[in-house]
Amino acid sequence: MTRPWAWRKDGISLVWLLVVGSCTACGSVGGGPPPAWEQPPPSVRELPVVPEQALTRAELSNGLQILILEDHRLPRVTLGLDVWRGEASVETERAGLAVFTAELMRRGAGDRNAIELAEAVDRIGADLGAGAGWDSLGVLVSGLSRDLDTLFEILADVVLRPRFDPAELERLRAETLASLESARDDPGTLAGWYTADAVYGAHRFGQPKSGTPESVAGFERREVRDLHASFLIPNAAVFFATGNVNREEILERVEKAFADWKPGALPPEGVAPPALAPPTRRVVIVDKPDLGQARIVVAHEGISRTDPDRIPAAMLNDVLGGSGFSSRLMETLRAEAGLTYTASSHFSLRRQPGPFVVSTFTRVPETRRALDLVLEGLENARVNPPSESELDRARTLSVGSFAMGLETSDAVMDSLVNLELYGLPDDSLETYRDRVRAVSVDDTSRMALRLLHPQRAAIVLVGPADQLLPQVKGLGPVEVVQP
Amino acid sequence: MASSRTRSFASAIITLWVSTLGAHALDDPAERTRVTRLDNGLTLLTLEDPASPVVSFQIWVRVGSRDESRITGLAHLFEHMMFKGSAHIEPEEHAQLVQSRGGRLNAYTNRDVTVYFEDITAETLPLVIDLEAERFANLDVSERTLTSEREVVLEERRLRTEDQPGGRGIEALMALTFQAHPYRWPVIGWRSDIENTSVDDCREFFARYYVPNNLVISIAGGFDEDLAIERIRQRFGALKRVAPVPRNPTTEPPQDGERRAQVHFDVQGARLYAAWHAPPTGHPDSDALDVLSVILSGGRSSRLYRSLVYESQRARFAHGSYWNLKDAGVFYAVAGARPGGSIDELEALFMGEIARLRVELVSEAELEKAKRQIEVSMIQGLRTSHALASRIASETVMLGKIRPLDERLESLRAVGSEDVRRVAARYLQDEKRSVVHVVKAPQGEEE
Repeated sequence: MTRPWAWRKDGISLVWLLVVGSCTACGSVGGGPPPAWEQPPPSVRELPVVPEQALTRAELSNGLQILILEDHRLPRVTLGLDVWRGEASVETERAGLAVFTAELMRRGAGDRNAIELAEAVDRIGADLGAGAGWDSLGVLVSGLSRDLDTLFEILADVVLRPRFDPAELERLRAETLASLESARDDPGTLAGWYTADAVYGAHRFGQPKSGTPESVAGFERREVRDLHASFLIPNAAVFFATGNVNREEILERVEKAFADWKPGALPPEGVAPPALAPPTRRVVIVDKPDLGQARIVVAHEGISRTDPDRIPAAMLNDVLGGSGFSSRLMETLRAEAGLTYTASSHFSLRRQPGPFVVSTFTRVPETRRALDLVLEGLENARVNPPSESELDRARTLSVGSFAMGLETSDAVMDSLVNLELYGLPDDSLETYRDRVRAVSVDDTSRMALRLLHPQRAAIVLVGPADQLLPQVKGLGPVEVVQP
Repeated sequence: MASSRTRSFASAIITLWVSTLGAHALDDPAERTRVTRLDNGLTLLTLEDPASPVVSFQIWVRVGSRDESRITGLAHLFEHMMFKGSAHIEPEEHAQLVQSRGGRLNAYTNRDVTVYFEDITAETLPLVIDLEAERFANLDVSERTLTSEREVVLEERRLRTEDQPGGRGIEALMALTFQAHPYRWPVIGWRSDIENTSVDDCREFFARYYVPNNLVISIAGGFDEDLAIERIRQRFGALKRVAPVPRNPTTEPPQDGERRAQVHFDVQGARLYAAWHAPPTGHPDSDALDVLSVILSGGRSSRLYRSLVYESQRARFAHGSYWNLKDAGVFYAVAGARPGGSIDELEALFMGEIARLRVELVSEAELEKAKRQIEVSMIQGLRTSHALASRIASETVMLGKIRPLDERLESLRAVGSEDVRRVAARYLQDEKRSVVHVVKAPQGEEE
C-alpha cells in the first residue's frame, strides 16, 4: 500500500452511513492538521543505548567478566550470572542434562536445602530462576535493592555451591519425565520436537532442548556434578547487575563472592550440524486424531548468531514472516485467506547454525491450501525478493523496535550479555541502527537465494493423520509417527 | 472539559514505603496522572515520564463479553474488525503503519473491557492518535472482511480452546459457576454464534458501545502531554456522545450446592478446575483474598506447590487465585495431575489445603511473606509505560478512580491472619464450589 492517499472507498451502505452518521460529517479524523499517515514518517530520536556513566565493565583476575548498569528509578535490582556453554555442548545421549543441572542448582545450595532456599527467596519477595539454552546456562535473581546482600548470597550459593541432593535429583527426574509426557498434549510442543528431528536427525539439535524420556531416565548425579564443574568456570562467564545499585558496592561483593572461583578449560562447542539440513524434502505427519486444527511447520537449516549476514537476513525475515501484520505471510494466510490466526517465520540464532522455521496452523481440511501458500511464499521470496519499499519498512521497524528495547535496564543488559556470550563487538548496540540502514535490496535478494530452500525443506504437520495423509500427495516422502 | 490532577496522600506514601520497603522513599507515578474529560464524555488519562523512551497509548472501551445479549463472542469478534479498515485506511493498514515504525500493537477483549494498545516511540504518537480516531469515527465493516475474519476467529477458538485441555476446562468451569450472569459464556463466544454473526450485528454493536462516553484513553511514557491532549481534542472531540450505554441487568443468584462436570479430552495427565463465587473488584475483602492467593500459590514455598507438587508429587502444577471482575469475582483453582495419577486424589489434596485455610490461622511469618511478595510485584509493575498506562486505565474503568499505591499498601498491611481465615470460611465453602475434571474418555467410549 502506498501513501499518501485519501479517498473514501465505495460500497458503504446507507444503513452504515446512518449508523455512524455523526462521524462521517466530521472529516477524516476530526479537526486539526492533515492526518499523520499522509506525512512521511518522522525520524526516530536516537537515544544513547545506555545513559552516560551508567555502565561499568570490569574483570576479575580469574577471568570473570562483570557488567553493571545503574538505574536508580526504582528500588529494585537484578543480579545474574551466565556461562558460555549450554545444551549444544551436551552429547545427544545426555540431551537435557544442562537444563536439568541448572534446575537442580536452584533446588538446594549452600546451607539451605530446596525448601529453605525457596523460603529465603519468597520471604523477601524475590524471584529466582536458573536455566539453560543451547549456548549458555544462567542464574538470575531479582528483588528489592535493600535486600542486595541476601540476593547476592543466594546467587553465589546457587552458582558455586549447589548441593545436588540425590533425593532432589530423583524428584526432579520424576517431574521432568511427567512434564515431557504431558507436553504431548500440546500440539505446538509436538510440532517443535518433530521439526527439530526432521531437520537435524541424529545431531544434538534434533532432540528437544530439555531432553527425552530416555536421556532423562539415565542422568546420574556424577554427570550433573561433572557438567557443573566443567561448564561453570569464571573464565567463560559474565556476572551482571542492573538497577538501584552503585558500582563500588557491586564490585566489592563480586570480588568477595567470586574471586576464589578457579578457572578451567572450556568444554568444546559441540559438533557442527550438517550444512544442508535436511538434505532433501521430507514430510512428517504427527498423528493426533483429536485435533480440529493442524499445525504446519516448514523448516530447514538457518544461520548462526555470528553470521556476517545476520542483519540482512533479519530484514528478509521481517518482510517474509517476522513482523506481524506487516509480513507477507500474515497478509496472505490471515488477512487475505482467513486461514489462520497467525503465521510467522524466524531464524533460531545459535553459536552453530540453528533452524529457519515457518509455522502456522489452520482447520484440518484446509491444511494443504495453507501449506501451499507457505511454500509459495518462500519460493516467491526467492523470485520476488523484498522491494525497496518493503525493505524500507523493515528498516524503520528495526530501528523503531530497537528504540523500544531500551525501555528497561534489564532488557538492555540482556542484549549486552548476549554480545559477551557470542564474542560480538562491545559497540554492536551503538552501531546497530547504522548497520540496519546500510542494508540494500541487493543484500536481501542475496539472502533470499542463500537462505530460503522450500524445495528441500522439512514439512511437519500435527493433526489427524487419516485426514492429513491424502492432502500431502506429491510433496515428497511421507512418514506418519505416533507421538 | 475539565482537567485535574490527583495528588493525594503524597506524604503518607513516603512513611509507608519507609516501613515496608526500607528507607527508600518511592513516589507513585500514577499520582501524577492528569485527567481530562472532553465535552462528549471521553475520559483522557495522561502520565508523562520524560525519562522513558517508550509511550504506551491505550484505548479502553467499557464493553466486554458481559455486555453481549443475543450473540456471544461479538465483543471479541468486533475487536478483530477494528483492524479491517475504515474510510481512509485499508484492512490491516493500521497495524502495518504502526509496526513498520517499530511499534508494538495489539488488542484484547475480556469479560468487562476491550482494550486497544500501541507501544511506540514519541515520534509515532500523532500517527497513532490519528489512526485510532479514524477507526472510531469511520470504521468500515464489510461482508468481505467479516467473512474472512470470522474464519480467523474460529482458528483462534480452535487454538486456544477447542484443541487445548486448559481452554476446555476453563470454558466448562465458567459455564458451571455462572448460570445466569453473562460471565458464563466464553469471551471468544460459542462456535455457532461466531459462525452466524452478521455485518449488521457488528454495526449495531459499534454504534452502541464504541461511543466517546464509553471510552477511556490512557497515555503513559515519554511524550508531550499538552500536545497529545490538544491532538486528541481535535481528533476525538467531534465524536458524538450516545447515552445511556445499555448494560445487562442480570445478577448471579446465590449458589446452593456443589456443581460438578466432566470434559473428555485426550490428556496425558488429568486436570482439575474449581471455582467459588467471590466479591467483585473493589470489595473490602479483595486484599485478604489476594493475600490468601499468594499463600496458596506465590512461589515455591507456597502451600500448593509444597503439598501437591513437591511433597506428595501428585501434581505437575497447582494454583489458586482470586480473579476480580466488574460484576462479580471468582476464586479459581487449577491443577494438573501427573500422567497416570488419580484426579480424585489430587482433588482431595487440593481441597484439603482449602479446608485448612478455613480452619487454621496462617502464621505471622507466612502472612508477612505473602504481603512482601505482593508489595514487590507492585514495584515491578512500575517499570514500563505499558504497565503504567494499563494500571491507570484499569483502575479508572474498574474502580472509578486511580488508587494510589499507598492506599493499596495501607489496606494490604491491615490484613491479619483472622481476615484470611474469615474470607476462606466465607467464600471457599465446599457446598458453594463448582468443579470440572478434564479426563480421558473411558475406553470404548467415543467423544
